[in-house]
Amino acid sequence: MPENIESVPRQRIRKVLIANRGEIAVRVIRACREMGIRTVAIYSEPDRLGLPVLLADEAYPIGPAPSRESYLRAEAIVELAVKVGADAIHPGYGFLSERAGFARLCRDAGVTFIGPSPEAIDAMGSKVESRRLMMAAGVPVVPGGKDALPDLAAAAAFAEQLGYPVMLKASAGGGGKGMRRVVEAAELAGAYRAARSEAGASFGDDSVYLEKYIVDPRHVEIQVLGDLHGRVVSLGERECSLQRRHQKVVEEAPSPVVSPELRRRMGDAAVKAASAVGYSNAGTCEFLLAKDGSFYFLEMNTRLQVEHPVTELVTGIDLVHTQIRIAEGEPLGPAFDDVQPRGHAVEIRLYAEDPYNRFAPSPGRIVRLRLPEGPGIRNDCGVYEGSEVSIHYDPMLAKLIVWAADRETALNRLERALGELRVEGIRTNVPLFRALLADADFRSGNMDIGMLDRKLAAGELQPPEEMPGEMQNSELADLPFIAAALAHHEKAGRTLGSGVGSASRRSLWNATARREALRRSSWS
Amino acid sequence: MELIARSGEREEKVRVRRDGPDVYEVTVGDRTYLVDALLTPAGIHSLRIDGAQHEVSVRRQGEDYAVTSRHGTAAVSVTDPLSHLAAQSHGKGARRQQKVTAYMPGRVAAVLVQEGDAVTAGQGIIVLEAMKMENEIRAEHDGTILKLFVQPGQAVDTGNPLFELE
Repeated sequence: MPENIESVPRQRIRKVLIANRGEIAVRVIRACREMGIRTVAIYSEPDRLGLPVLLADEAYPIGPAPSRESYLRAEAIVELAVKVGADAIHPGYGFLSERAGFARLCRDAGVTFIGPSPEAIDAMGSKVESRRLMMAAGVPVVPGGKDALPDLAAAAAFAEQLGYPVMLKASAGGGGKGMRRVVEAAELAGAYRAARSEAGASFGDDSVYLEKYIVDPRHVEIQVLGDLHGRVVSLGERECSLQRRHQKVVEEAPSPVVSPELRRRMGDAAVKAASAVGYSNAGTCEFLLAKDGSFYFLEMNTRLQVEHPVTELVTGIDLVHTQIRIAEGEPLGPAFDDVQPRGHAVEIRLYAEDPYNRFAPSPGRIVRLRLPEGPGIRNDCGVYEGSEVSIHYDPMLAKLIVWAADRETALNRLERALGELRVEGIRTNVPLFRALLADADFRSGNMDIGMLDRKLAAGELQPPEEMPGEMQNSELADLPFIAAALAHHEKAGRTLGSGVGSASRRSLWNATARREALRRSSWS
Repeated sequence: MELIARSGEREEKVRVRRDGPDVYEVTVGDRTYLVDALLTPAGIHSLRIDGAQHEVSVRRQGEDYAVTSRHGTAAVSVTDPLSHLAAQSHGKGARRQQKVTAYMPGRVAAVLVQEGDAVTAGQGIIVLEAMKMENEIRAEHDGTILKLFVQPGQAVDTGNPLFELE
C-alpha cells in the first residue's frame, strides 16, 4: 500500500491487548499473530481456560465472573495495558467497544484504541443527536419528528403529512413501551391516548412523537472503513433481516435484493453518514430497506460487528488486519476503491440454547466438538472440546460462515456443513438452522425483520423429522430409539452377566462407557 | 426382553436381539431393523441399517441416553416393563408429589410463591437466570408448594432441588 500521506505519523503496533473474550478475542488474536504482533488476553475467573487465553502470548486476570467486575473495568484494563507494555487495545464487540469514555481513557494513557475516536462514538451514540447530524448530512432517516406532539390535533396533522401507517413513540421511550402503530386516521385518537398514558406510567414523561411506519422492512447494513486521513469507503452490504427478538441469527452478503445501483446509493449514504462525524476505523451503518427500495438510516455501530466475516469472504479484505493498519496511521489504498462483492457468504450464530425449549440457555461442558471442514467453510469458534460454557456471558459459542459462488450453492454448503457439525454435552440452536434451510421463504430470500419471530410464534420451523408426513415412523425418526436400545442392551448385558455381552467378546458399547469414564476423570 | 423407550411425546416398545458379531436385530414398534453397529476409536458409533449409514453418539445423561446424529440430539429413556409398571403403581398409590430440580445452572432471580401456596398448572414458581436470560420454572400440575429449597440470589447447579409440589 502507498505511504504518500504524511499528516499522520505511522506508528507500528507491536503488542495488542484484547479487551474481550470468546470467539471475537480469538479472531483478533489470529489477526495479530498473522501480522507479527504480540497478543495479551485478559480473563475473568471462569475464563482462565478459555480459548483466547490458550492462544495468547500473555494472559492476565481481570476480576471475577460478573462482567462489570471484569471485562467492563475500563480503568483497570487500560492500566494493565500500560503496565504490560501493550501499545494498543482492541475492544472487539460488546463490553467496552462502544464506550466513548473507554476510548478516551486509552487516548489519555497513550494507548492506541483500535476503533473510532471518542468524539465519533459520542456523536453516533445518541439517537437524537445522530439523527439530527444525519438529516443535516443528507442521509435519509425514517420520516417523522422527535419533537413532542403538543396535542391530538397536531398529531393528526403531522400523521396526514407523513402518510399512514405511522408509529407513535414515547420521547423517553425504550423497550416497546409507549409505542403504538396506527394504520389509519380513525385509529389515531385512541392510539394517541393509549401511548401517552403508557409513556407516562412507564417513564414519568407522557410526551410522544410520530414517525412513518415502514411496513415489513429488511435490515440491510453497510460496512464502512475510514482512515486517519479523512478517507471513508464502503465495502458493500450485509443482509441481517433474520432476527429473533431483535437479535441477528443469520447474516449474509450480498443481500439477495440489493442491486449494484442500490448498493452504490446505500454505500454513498453510509460514507456520508460516517464522514459527517469524522469517522475512522471499521464501522457499520444500519438501514431499514423498504419494499419499494427506499432506505432509512437507523444507527451506526461504531465497532467491528459480529457478522463481519461475511463481508471479508465476499470482498477478500481482512477487516481486523485493516483495523490495525488504520490505527497505525496507514491510509486506505487503491485496493479499497469501488469494492464489489464476489460470490455469496452466509453466517449462522451458534448459540448454547435449546430452540425447542423456549430458547433456554444450555451451559455446561462440551464433551464433543467436531467443526465442519472442506471447501468454503470458515469457523470462528471461541470454545473447544472439553471447555465449559459458562452461565455468566452471552451464549454465542461460535460462528459458522460459508462461501460459494452463488446464494443457492452457499445455502446447500451450509446444510452440508451443519450435517458435519457435532456439539455434544450442551444443546445448541443448530436444529433451528436446519429448519430454516428447509423454509421456502428463507430459501428464496424472501425476508423481513419480523419474519423469524412470526414463524416461531406460529409454530413453524419445527425440526424436519417431527413434521407430519413421510419422516414419521421412518428409519430416521426411529434412529434415536435404535441407538438408545442398543446402548441399553449392552449395559444390561454387562450388569447381568447374561450371554448378551459374552465374556469372550469385548463389547464396543462397554468400551465407550470405559472411555467416557476415563475422559470424565481426566477433566474433573 | 421388550423394553419401553420414550423420547419427548413418543413412546415405543423396543427389543434388541444379538444376531452375530456386531449385528443386532432391533425392533421399534412394529418395525424391525437389522443393524450393523460398530464403534470408532473416537467413541462414535456407525450404525448401518440396510446399507444406510448413520453416525451417532450415545451418552448417558442422568437416566436418559442422549443420542446425537446429524439430525440433532434426542434424549431417550429406556426402561424395562417391570420397573416401568412398578414406578407407575407407586405413582398411583402415593400422592402425586414432585420434587422439581434445576434443568440448567444459573442464579435464582425470583421466587414467585411461598411454601403452602396453592398453585395451578402452568403457574410460574421460580425465575432462573443464566446467560443474561430469565427462564420461568412453572408448575407442571395443580397442587400445593410443600417446600422451597432456594432463595432469590442463590446460585444453583443442574439437578439441584428447587421446590416440592404436591
